[in-house]
Amino acid sequence: MNENNAKIVVVPGEVVTEERKKLGQHVYLHQGRIYSDCLGMARIDGDSASVVPLEGKYVAQAGDLVVGVLISEKFAGYTTDVNHFYPAFVSKKELPENLKPGTIVSAKVAHVNEMNELELEQSRVFYGGDLISVSPVKIPRVIGRNGSMLEVLKRGTGCSMLVGRNGRIWLKGSNVGLAIKAVEIIEREAHLDNLTDRVTSFLREEGRKAEAAKYA
Amino acid sequence: MAKKTGSEETVTYVDKSGKRLDGRKADELRKIKVEVGVIPRADGSAYVEWGQNKVLASVYGPRECLPKHLANPYKAIVRYTYRMAAFSVPDRKNPKPGRREIEISKVSGEALARAIFLERFPNTAIDVDVEILDSNAGTRVAALTAASVALADAGIPMRDLVAGIGVGKAGGHLLVDLNKAEEDAPDAVDIPMAILPNLGEVVLLQLDGLMTQKEWEESQKLAFQHVKKVYELQKEALKKKYAVEGNSGDMEAGARAAEEGVVE
Amino acid sequence: MSQILWNLSADKVLATLREGKRSDGRKFDEYRPVQVIKNVSENADGICRIKLGQTDVVAGIKMIPGEPFPDTPDAGTISVGAELLALADPTFEAGPPREGSIELSRVVDRGIRESNCLDFKSLCIREGELVWVVFIDIYVLNFDGNLFDACALAALIALQDTKIPKLDDKDKPVKGEFAGKLKLARKPVMCTFVKVGNSVVVDPSLAEEKALDARFSVTTTEDDFISAFQKGGEGAFSPEEINKCVALAFKKGKELRKQYCE
Repeated sequence: MNENNAKIVVVPGEVVTEERKKLGQHVYLHQGRIYSDCLGMARIDGDSASVVPLEGKYVAQAGDLVVGVLISEKFAGYTTDVNHFYPAFVSKKELPENLKPGTIVSAKVAHVNEMNELELEQSRVFYGGDLISVSPVKIPRVIGRNGSMLEVLKRGTGCSMLVGRNGRIWLKGSNVGLAIKAVEIIEREAHLDNLTDRVTSFLREEGRKAEAAKYA
Repeated sequence: MAKKTGSEETVTYVDKSGKRLDGRKADELRKIKVEVGVIPRADGSAYVEWGQNKVLASVYGPRECLPKHLANPYKAIVRYTYRMAAFSVPDRKNPKPGRREIEISKVSGEALARAIFLERFPNTAIDVDVEILDSNAGTRVAALTAASVALADAGIPMRDLVAGIGVGKAGGHLLVDLNKAEEDAPDAVDIPMAILPNLGEVVLLQLDGLMTQKEWEESQKLAFQHVKKVYELQKEALKKKYAVEGNSGDMEAGARAAEEGVVE
Repeated sequence: MSQILWNLSADKVLATLREGKRSDGRKFDEYRPVQVIKNVSENADGICRIKLGQTDVVAGIKMIPGEPFPDTPDAGTISVGAELLALADPTFEAGPPREGSIELSRVVDRGIRESNCLDFKSLCIREGELVWVVFIDIYVLNFDGNLFDACALAALIALQDTKIPKLDDKDKPVKGEFAGKLKLARKPVMCTFVKVGNSVVVDPSLAEEKALDARFSVTTTEDDFISAFQKGGEGAFSPEEINKCVALAFKKGKELRKQYCE
């Protein structure tokens, strides 16, 4: 495989390259060859080989921003659903008392232990708005390079958005329905080229239709 | 065990022109179809038609392992459930899981476990459920074939896909992918196998019937040779889900740019 | 011993095997000593207790007249059950059979049934009406690894010693009277291997079983047939490893047959 066709869909166990490369994400070395460990897009960037998964659960890493929903109140904090393998605990040091189950919060993953338990910090409460779920592996596309896609979404819909690495997106504004439609396009076409352009033109088109409807 | 013991009847399992009862050659698989993502609710799913066999497989997880005492602090556990629908056999099957189904579930789950990087998901469970909707011999290997595609569809990290294949013997001939009529031969030997095609490893192997060591070694070669076709179909089905022209999505564009998501 | 201690023990088993040794000093292809104890139950039609190292199992045979299957009106049948008694190991529990005991009994069943060592037609009493059902019930009394081989051997020896009860005119067995011995055409012997790391050893001890990556059982007959395979465990075998196991199973099967089944 050479650099020209480096970005192709691979299945688990498929050879990514037989050349010596640094091992990036989602690849493993076996008898001198580099194999993919998941269904994803193979990438060879210079001297490293990796696979970007097309499916999969959220696997937390320290530093991730996540959007969670409070499940229940405990003595010192709240158990919170952050779409991880196990519920996470948010301390009351950072949150007010008596928050209702269902309250939306954001937090940063401070630490993940080897038992898949999360420690969260810098938590904030979000009032109102909507919460949608997106496949966690598609989140990078919702954000875009240097946040470019998110900028397009916010500008095109006028919504406030908070995108969690865990596949949860909080939105608030008068045009949430349009934002959700745009996110659905991103999720469906995440593996395709020129996505930002397509979303931009979709939002522009929808905006024009809305204008037209106003004067009709 | 519906073996016809009436020795008077002589069936020709491979005729002079090398054709089997259903017209296949000795080393020919039945027609196989693999589809991906057939159960929208599941984390991953697949449907396999293998001759008359029809199998649905779903994957949920890795997810919280309940009840908790089953969890392993070092790795994920695989819970594989193989079941046959009541209408999937000529007579009605009692829907209550039988001993055969329980044994198949156990060895099949162990076969899949080898393929998965379980140690990346300590304390979790990966639930794999397969339902046989129609059957005509070879359901457990069709089920594993579907299950492994469903695992890949769920994005679960794996060393390799698991491809199933049946080999064996009927009427003195070594055959690939026996159907029910062939499995009922008086001298039938049935060898379900599951193989990691790229790593060349055997993860499921059972045999019943009488066979010499030489015949076995020959059968194993046949299995390795023809399992490649099953694997190609699995691969093709998975890729088809994402096959679009000019395919080079830049998934890493905003990778880990979590900060950008915060509202101003 | 708790699970966490078994994990430590597994590390040690692996390290020892890497040095080319087994933790109990046996060679890789060496069985533990086998002790055959007969006549442990007078009510059984055939019985055998086997000690394989400290693994202790007993297989009892009951010949019961019953109805034939509709598709085989002229053939008797066998039924194998294996109970992992709660007294045999701290992790065994009373109650309905679980997957471990179901697999065990089905693999023992397969080895015997598929070897055609029993002529099922000779077990027909009256075609379409009455046939012999050979119940093989195996109980594990102490678990020290390799239940598969111990149970298969106990079942075989018990079958060899089985007497067929005499039936009265109402088809009820007459107590203490027998119509002859059960005839076995072959002697299927099971040989189980486990793979730990890259080492494959025969007749795993409990410590080796707790450390296993994969398990492989081969049942062979004295006339050079394989009658059953079963691979278990969350690991894999290469085709070469399988072929080596099969060859060794024939060799070890011969030895076991000669020593304990003649």
